[in-house]
Amino acid sequence: MIHVPTNILLVDDEKDFVEMLSMRLEDAGDKVTPAYDGHMCLETLAKIPIDVVILDIKMPGMDGIQALKEIKLRYPLVEVILLTGHGTTETAIAGMKLGAFDYLLKPADFEELQTILEKAKLRKAEQDERIRKAEARQLLRRGGNI
Amino acid sequence: MDADSVKHIRLLLVDDESEFRNTLAKRLRKRGLDSLQAADGDNCLAVLADHAIDVVVMDVVMPGMNGIDTLYQIKQQYPQIEVILLTGNANTQDGVEGIKHGAFDYLTKPVEFDHLLGKIFQAYDKIISEKRQKAAEEFKTRIEQQMIATERLAALGTLAAGVAHEINNPLAIVNEAAGYLKALLQKRELAEMPHRATFEKALEKVENSVKRARAITHQLLADVGKRERVVVEIDLEALLTETLALIRREAEKKGIRVQLEAEGEAAPLWADPNQIRQVFINLLSNAIHASYDNSEIRVYIQSTTAEAAIEIVDSGIGISRENQGRIFEPFFSTKSPGEGTGLGLYVTREIVEKFGGRLAVESTLGEGSRFSVIIPNQIGFSDDGSGTQ
Repeated sequence: MIHVPTNILLVDDEKDFVEMLSMRLEDAGDKVTPAYDGHMCLETLAKIPIDVVILDIKMPGMDGIQALKEIKLRYPLVEVILLTGHGTTETAIAGMKLGAFDYLLKPADFEELQTILEKAKLRKAEQDERIRKAEARQLLRRGGNI
Repeated sequence: MDADSVKHIRLLLVDDESEFRNTLAKRLRKRGLDSLQAADGDNCLAVLADHAIDVVVMDVVMPGMNGIDTLYQIKQQYPQIEVILLTGNANTQDGVEGIKHGAFDYLTKPVEFDHLLGKIFQAYDKIISEKRQKAAEEFKTRIEQQMIATERLAALGTLAAGVAHEINNPLAIVNEAAGYLKALLQKRELAEMPHRATFEKALEKVENSVKRARAITHQLLADVGKRERVVVEIDLEALLTETLALIRREAEKKGIRVQLEAEGEAAPLWADPNQIRQVFINLLSNAIHASYDNSEIRVYIQSTTAEAAIEIVDSGIGISRENQGRIFEPFFSTKSPGEGTGLGLYVTREIVEKFGGRLAVESTLGEGSRFSVIIPNQIGFSDDGSGTQ
């Protein structure tokens, strides 16, 4: 089966971590764009189509939770996976309530991360598809040309 | 000293002259004081072994064990008992000796009755104030120890979480770097690389070590997490019903009925059920303490989509306007030392505010109190929301 590359935005203030995980994900066939804080994350989302954001929580400036809120507000279809070195069940639940797709603690198991990425991408694709169909139906109802 | 307190003084008269004892006892009786009697030192110690006594009035000159030796024995065995010595006019030296051995005071015979009565009252006052002071000190020590233990645990938890977090980040980099190198070694162009198997073996060891370290840091974070609040969906009415079951026995002891009334479509509340339960337990047991026997406590739940309001209303003694401003202060209590920690309402308010809520009181002396808890259904995700940063 051909692996369709996922457009991943990897957000973490630990540059070495971003570099290493990017190389690994790209090696596995995905397309990774790095960002080092919440602002840079949102700027990137405005420019490049992204499927999944891998987001650290504790970052200087705009932190991951604030960034998550903004992402869900502006790009509700983009899936967000929280990946953080710091965390408790509470943080996880709070993140999920804000619409995160899943939550992993650093250092994460790479295979586990890939499985979650795959599921997140699938949900994003399904959502995109639903919206396309809904839009098509709407156009048909209006009697417009497709 | 009022007549009521006088009745509580347990008195023992020790003198070898029975006539003196009887006369004194009769006069004391007229003033509302009951007393026991003993004819000598040995007899005195025998009475003390069987009866709780506050004040001993004792003659120094007695056959057998004299008053000073008896005093010495009393102070050894019952340091809380106060002793008033009676000495002959010519023997004030005995009195001084007695005070050295811990006597409360001495009076010279012939004794002026009102003077003796005054001394007995003074001795009793001393016992009462020492008891109070001791209780207050014990209470303070206990609370201080609790606070120290709590603070230590919290500090340790914060430190552990901080360390775990700081280690997880570099650990994640090591993990990804090792993983990346391992993936590289799988590539066809590196198939013939010299020592390839050794590289793979070494990287395997790096990855295994990361797993070991990760197990430790994750365990640390999980332990800290247990002490922190968990946030889950709560059915408020079910939680309150459960809480009422916990305090039912206390209420029934005073014949108090607790009524629960819910209004409005209950939206799920997100909070820590253990801490919210603590809030209700504190408020309800306060209401029970403040209530008169056979009265009623009403609990109202009013839910909107945004917040839940819980009111606990009693028709008890009420809180004075002056105290209403102070009841939320730590260590403020109107209960006797040892009965109330003075922390209940303080902790209650801390919890309610931690979940973004408010705790308020309305009260009229003699009519009762109304405590209101208002909690937003969805807690705001404030800056501290991501844990102990």
